Amino acid sequence: MIERGHAVLIDPEKCIGCVACCKVCPTKAIRVRDRLAVVNPELCTDCGSCILVCRYEAATARTSAVSDLKRFKHTVAVPSVTLYSQFGRDVTPVQVLHALRQVGFDSHYDLSWMCEMVAGATDAYLAECKGPWPKISVTCPAIVRLIQIRYPDLIAHMLPLESPRELAAKLLRPRLAADLALDPDDIGVFFITPCSAIMNSILSPVGLEQSYLDGAFSIAELYGPLLAAIKRGGGSDLDAPISLSGVLWAIGEGQISGMRNTNTMAVRGLQDVEYVFDRIEAGKFQSVDFIEAFMCPDGCAGGQLTVEGRYAARRNIQQIARRLGNQEHVKEEKVRSLLREHFFDLEGPVKARAIQPLARDLRQAIALKREKDALLDRLPKKDCAACGSPDCATLAEEIAAGVARIEDCPFVKIEMLEAERAGAETGARARKVRKERNK
Amino acid sequence: MNPAANQAGNPPEALYAESFTIRGNDYEHGGDASARIKAIMKELGIPADVIRRLSIANFEAEMNVIMYAEEGRLEFQVFPDSVRVVFADRGQGIPDIQQAMVEGFSTATPAMRERGFGAGLGLPNIKRNTDLFEIESTPGVGTTLRYAVFLNDRGGVAGD
Repeated sequence: MIERGHAVLIDPEKCIGCVACCKVCPTKAIRVRDRLAVVNPELCTDCGSCILVCRYEAATARTSAVSDLKRFKHTVAVPSVTLYSQFGRDVTPVQVLHALRQVGFDSHYDLSWMCEMVAGATDAYLAECKGPWPKISVTCPAIVRLIQIRYPDLIAHMLPLESPRELAAKLLRPRLAADLALDPDDIGVFFITPCSAIMNSILSPVGLEQSYLDGAFSIAELYGPLLAAIKRGGGSDLDAPISLSGVLWAIGEGQISGMRNTNTMAVRGLQDVEYVFDRIEAGKFQSVDFIEAFMCPDGCAGGQLTVEGRYAARRNIQQIARRLGNQEHVKEEKVRSLLREHFFDLEGPVKARAIQPLARDLRQAIALKREKDALLDRLPKKDCAACGSPDCATLAEEIAAGVARIEDCPFVKIEMLEAERAGAETGARARKVRKERNK
Repeated sequence: MNPAANQAGNPPEALYAESFTIRGNDYEHGGDASARIKAIMKELGIPADVIRRLSIANFEAEMNVIMYAEEGRLEFQVFPDSVRVVFADRGQGIPDIQQAMVEGFSTATPAMRERGFGAGLGLPNIKRNTDLFEIESTPGVGTTLRYAVFLNDRGGVAGD
């Protein structure tokens, strides 16, 4: 059993308190206090934006350790299809899978056909679904958490089907246990992840009591050994049918490109996701059936824990897809019957984790709101985050709540010091402060 | 206290009020006022269901002003027992309110209507999502909409 919690970690030794992470955090979960970034676990989505912007390698993702593999009699690597995009356009998925067995896993599992199955299940689900429209994909765990925290109204829009990685592990464990005559608990199923968000979805799953996966390694940490193994060669003997539409899940629009339903949209990158989600909340996009949404700028190929740049990764995947040619591995009838048997279903409800109001009592909240608005008028609205809070509105809220002071703002502080000095010089300090305030 | 009586008689002073101006044809900012009101309601801890219903109503009403009026004024008010909105616009007005209030009065297909489109001015949608709804309109002068959603007896406790 793995310890629940977040995947994103801040190393206090390396953090210099520069506020870069504080400013980019989509849920305003980070404050810089005493030159150290502190993450509020209630608000963190583990999207990894902080890992991407941190220049001091202070923000990192918790992943499994090699010693975790030793706890199991048989270990299986389930790589994100993104892994196939990392080694140039001439390395095939089969070579990558073979290399995984060279670096310490007992077996491997190709996820591409499960991606194709989930695309088929999505089509079948949408055909029967009664709304609310549009449905939003739940493949990206950072999106799931963003919805829980910032867009709780959109929970009803989430596609209630589990991700390919969890479904693969669910399928794989009993099958391997039977084949190898082992206890299911002796099988270690490890994901190879492009991002911190998926690591977090294994540590603290949503819509699932406990993850079917036993842990995850990042693409970045396995990259070197895998590349060396690929160079050593081998793997051409492996007979692994790879799904064309499945490998495309590594890049933006890949998920929808394999669906029969074409009344779909793809959105990726925080800014665009916010743009679309704000509008869905306001009742727009109801004519769209399905929205593929990813927090990273080009889907999983843009994950923080990848090595190949996302443009090269996209080209590689397209090249691999072209070589695979057009084939279908998944039988529509099989998918339909599995859907009827609830194989794909999210097992539990997705709960809102909405941002708390200013106060629970309406009158008190209104009083705080007025105080906050008045304080915001006094702040420079540069949203520089120099105070350690992500923007002036947040600082105003924190001052109103009594957890920060107006002089935490360096601009206000300079103003105050200048006013004080001027006051001391002229002896007209009180008048001057009033005048400054009225400006 | 009966909120309907407030509306007819002299309403008590709002605990919180804010007003917004909406310009006709300003599609670029379509939905901005509704979004800002939604953010304010979240800050104030208005129950999620009330926020959801009012946001749908506000968005419909805001887009009506943008599409059909020259200029509109939106008054957003929070009372101890309800959240109220008054939309007053200068514009072409609605010649036949009764017809505009007919559910799905529109040339849209049933499939489109199922998705919330083609409900004419969206007035039935506003009415459906609110507890109080009033409309006055003078063709060639403008339209005034008044609607409200009641808060539960605890007066806006978050997380319901």
